[in-house]
Amino acid sequence: MTILQDALWYKDAVIYQVHVRTFYDSNGDGIGDFRGLAQKLDYLQDLGINAIWLMPFFPSPLRDDGYDIADYRSVHPSYGDLEDFKVFLDAAHQRGIRVIIEMVLNHTSDQHPWFQQSRSTRDNPKRDWYVWSDSDTRYRGTRIIFVDTELSNWAWDPVSKQYYWHRFFSHQPDLNYDNPAVRAEMWDIMKFWLEMGVDAFRLDAVPYLVEREGTNCENLPETHEVIRELRAKVDQQFPGRMLLAEANQWPADLRPYFGNGDEFHMAFHFPLMPRMFMGLKLEDRKPITEILQQTPSIPDNCQWCLFLRNHDELTLEMVTDMERDYMYDEYAREKTMRLNLGIRRRLAPLLDNDRRRIELMNGMLMSLPGTPIIYYGDEIGMGDNVNLGDRNGVRTPMQWDGGWNGGFSLADPEALYSPLMLNPVYGFQAVNVQSQKRFDHSLLSWMKRLIKTRKSMPVFGRGSIEFLYPANHRVLAYVRQLGRDIILVVNNLSSSAQAVELDLKRYKGNILIEMFGRNIFPRIGDLPYLLTMGPYQFYWFRLRRI
Amino acid sequence: MAEESILTDDFLRELMNVGEVDILVGVPTFNDARTVGQVVQAIRAGLLKYFPRQRAVIINADGGSKDETQELVRAASISDLQHGSNLPALRTLHCISTRYSGPPQGGNALHTIFAAGDLLRASACAVVAADSTSIEPEWLDRLLRPVTRDNFDLITPLYRRHKFDGLLVRNLVYPMSRAIYARQIREPYASEFAFSGRLNTHFLSAESPQYGESGNEFNLLVAAISGGFRIAQAFLGDKTRLDQPPSDLVQAMRQTVAPLFGSLERNFPYWSNDGQPQPIPAIGPVPELNLEPLRINRKRLFQMFTHGVSELRPVFEVILSPTTYAELQRAAAKSEDQFSFKDELWVRTVYEFAASHHKEVINRDHIIQALAPLYRGRAYTFLVENRDASSEQVEENVEGLCRTFERLKPYLLDMWERK
Repeated sequence: MTILQDALWYKDAVIYQVHVRTFYDSNGDGIGDFRGLAQKLDYLQDLGINAIWLMPFFPSPLRDDGYDIADYRSVHPSYGDLEDFKVFLDAAHQRGIRVIIEMVLNHTSDQHPWFQQSRSTRDNPKRDWYVWSDSDTRYRGTRIIFVDTELSNWAWDPVSKQYYWHRFFSHQPDLNYDNPAVRAEMWDIMKFWLEMGVDAFRLDAVPYLVEREGTNCENLPETHEVIRELRAKVDQQFPGRMLLAEANQWPADLRPYFGNGDEFHMAFHFPLMPRMFMGLKLEDRKPITEILQQTPSIPDNCQWCLFLRNHDELTLEMVTDMERDYMYDEYAREKTMRLNLGIRRRLAPLLDNDRRRIELMNGMLMSLPGTPIIYYGDEIGMGDNVNLGDRNGVRTPMQWDGGWNGGFSLADPEALYSPLMLNPVYGFQAVNVQSQKRFDHSLLSWMKRLIKTRKSMPVFGRGSIEFLYPANHRVLAYVRQLGRDIILVVNNLSSSAQAVELDLKRYKGNILIEMFGRNIFPRIGDLPYLLTMGPYQFYWFRLRRI
Repeated sequence: MAEESILTDDFLRELMNVGEVDILVGVPTFNDARTVGQVVQAIRAGLLKYFPRQRAVIINADGGSKDETQELVRAASISDLQHGSNLPALRTLHCISTRYSGPPQGGNALHTIFAAGDLLRASACAVVAADSTSIEPEWLDRLLRPVTRDNFDLITPLYRRHKFDGLLVRNLVYPMSRAIYARQIREPYASEFAFSGRLNTHFLSAESPQYGESGNEFNLLVAAISGGFRIAQAFLGDKTRLDQPPSDLVQAMRQTVAPLFGSLERNFPYWSNDGQPQPIPAIGPVPELNLEPLRINRKRLFQMFTHGVSELRPVFEVILSPTTYAELQRAAAKSEDQFSFKDELWVRTVYEFAASHHKEVINRDHIIQALAPLYRGRAYTFLVENRDASSEQVEENVEGLCRTFERLKPYLLDMWERK
């Protein structure tokens, strides 16, 4: 299989997010690597995903899990080298899997040679590659993102005796995008990887590229200018490649990042994710439909990126105080589960390891408008370890089997980059790929069927959506349509059986075909269409006029 | 043959859409468009403020309003179809309205609300009058919190009233029900009250439910007392109603005294035992009386009393003992400034009416109607005796009457069992 040339490939993608370090260790040093990842591509192909999003794998002091980059053109030695990456990339492409890599534009590690030079003397040529100030009072209207660890967005540099600007950790100085040399260099880096064959970049922390006095230093017009410049170069020199924005913002604030189809191809829909969890716990579709009502339309060549969980905490920045309190109380009763403004837990523990809820959430992920992302391990229901610091509790080794180190590595357990999950519920002996492969009804097997069904019709990735608003608020129902393909999706968010009447008059005469079992349901007539649903059940129906 | 249901199919369909709830607030209505919008808005605000996480529903049981009552209730819903709503609501809030079958009367409305609460498995329910224009969102907290948090089963209200407001309650309903059922509940016929799902289920599963009758709120209270449920009183605030209509005394007595007398019939084994009076916890400050001057036509009360005593002689001779009737005649013969309907005579009169109601010596409704002129005489005395009284003095006088009702309870038992 090879990569099909379709400029809108990202609309039909099912993305798998993985950190090289966590997936498979091929050389027994306790750390996952590119050779290991390449060995597991058959597994990913079998799962049905067709894109991989790799978290940062560049040389780094690893004080922020690789988002503190010290060299943009190389591979962290723990994961292999550039050659290993190229082998992996080719192998993925041969399996029809595209590769998305990280591009941390906003900041570098303080160990990056650029910063080392910049701080060395005030007249160093790299001095202006970062944002320096004599005072820590500039840009006072700017919020602090990592409120648990940082007191200010300025940090004092004792070497050059000035403050430097950082929106994240103080060891991650922000680059100065007012400097044309910085822009040119970052494009050169992107070009380096694009020429190698990577299919897309996830651009990290994009709202913060440029600072201006008197603003909150987020989403500034000058930042959009940087993005447009990069996009134009990608389109011109590497057509068919994709840019994905990480911008934790409200939909209306995110919309400009799509521009007129000339900035990002895709952007994460951050506010939707917590509301899916909220709707499930409240047994009420209101949070979900409301945020999607507030979501502006985007250009035809653009797409939302949807996710349930990722490598970060379940962020609660884009919710009201009341909603945040509710989410904490319902999903993170223990203080150790909370981090910054979020909840550092995986999907299965968040849902009490309830298979029905896990299926329902994945069903919505795969059927709402956008491109879904599966976080590694969630396809088998891996757990988390909230006793590990920062967000490391959701970054434990992939659980391949019930043997030595869960099949992740041949190293001594003490040498692993992170402790394995060991508890009787989520530990590798209870939850692993090998055991789930044996049963058709395991979560892994079910996820394969779900992905396959989604991929069977482009309507899921490219179709319109229309909500039905049945009077039963526990039921979330919508119609996806692309040309003559029409899909009806009905989700019961409730823990109890529900009856729901759907107004399907406009589809009168169609019969419903349930997409997983391919069973025929009664023809749509004049009366409201009555469905009864079990707890947390969902239906995908294809409408056919025969 | 299937038992006929008070709930219509459309209403059942709406309940199906609401699903299980934690809190149900019922609002009985009949042509209340002038006030119900304000009341429902206050209820909604109270639910959002004090119970933002609970699954709640507002149910309007309507007696066939010809105005916009039902539309005003429905408009208070919070859902994902109400675009542009800035209300800070986590959840959908259904506000549904149903037209119950039968005549527009409180019993049917409450029955509809009770049944809906049971079907929706509401753990806490409240009822709010559609004309309670002094309602504040805090009322919802004061009524429902003791049920949801403290496991009380019935919350009756305490209001700040004018000292001459609720004369029938002060002179008959409260002291008699207190004496009979040994509970000091100031508002036995509350237009606002809250109750637990447990009590609701118990009440609805009673062997001889009196659903459609007036006084369901009182029947619920008696069911709570006799069933050993936990009861408390909550201070709500001022109780005012918009443009209170001239009261129809006989109708008021049918709705209060008749159910009280009727309850004696059904609960004789309970109240005939010599139960010790038990205090009922009061939540919130003890309300003081409003002492503002109030113009009341006492002279007309006195005239109606004396006229009644002479005109209804054949009726009284059947209902009352000769001694009591003779005393009433003597009292009625006095001039207005010398007249006083003393506590003891009033209590004996009421108890003899209750016993006659039990024995059905004449048509029971006629018995209730015949009590009206005598009550007017008692009300006259209350107004005169408390004309210049302070809040404490009024309370002392009411307390004295209560003790007389309690002391003479054996007299009622004696009359009750006498052939």
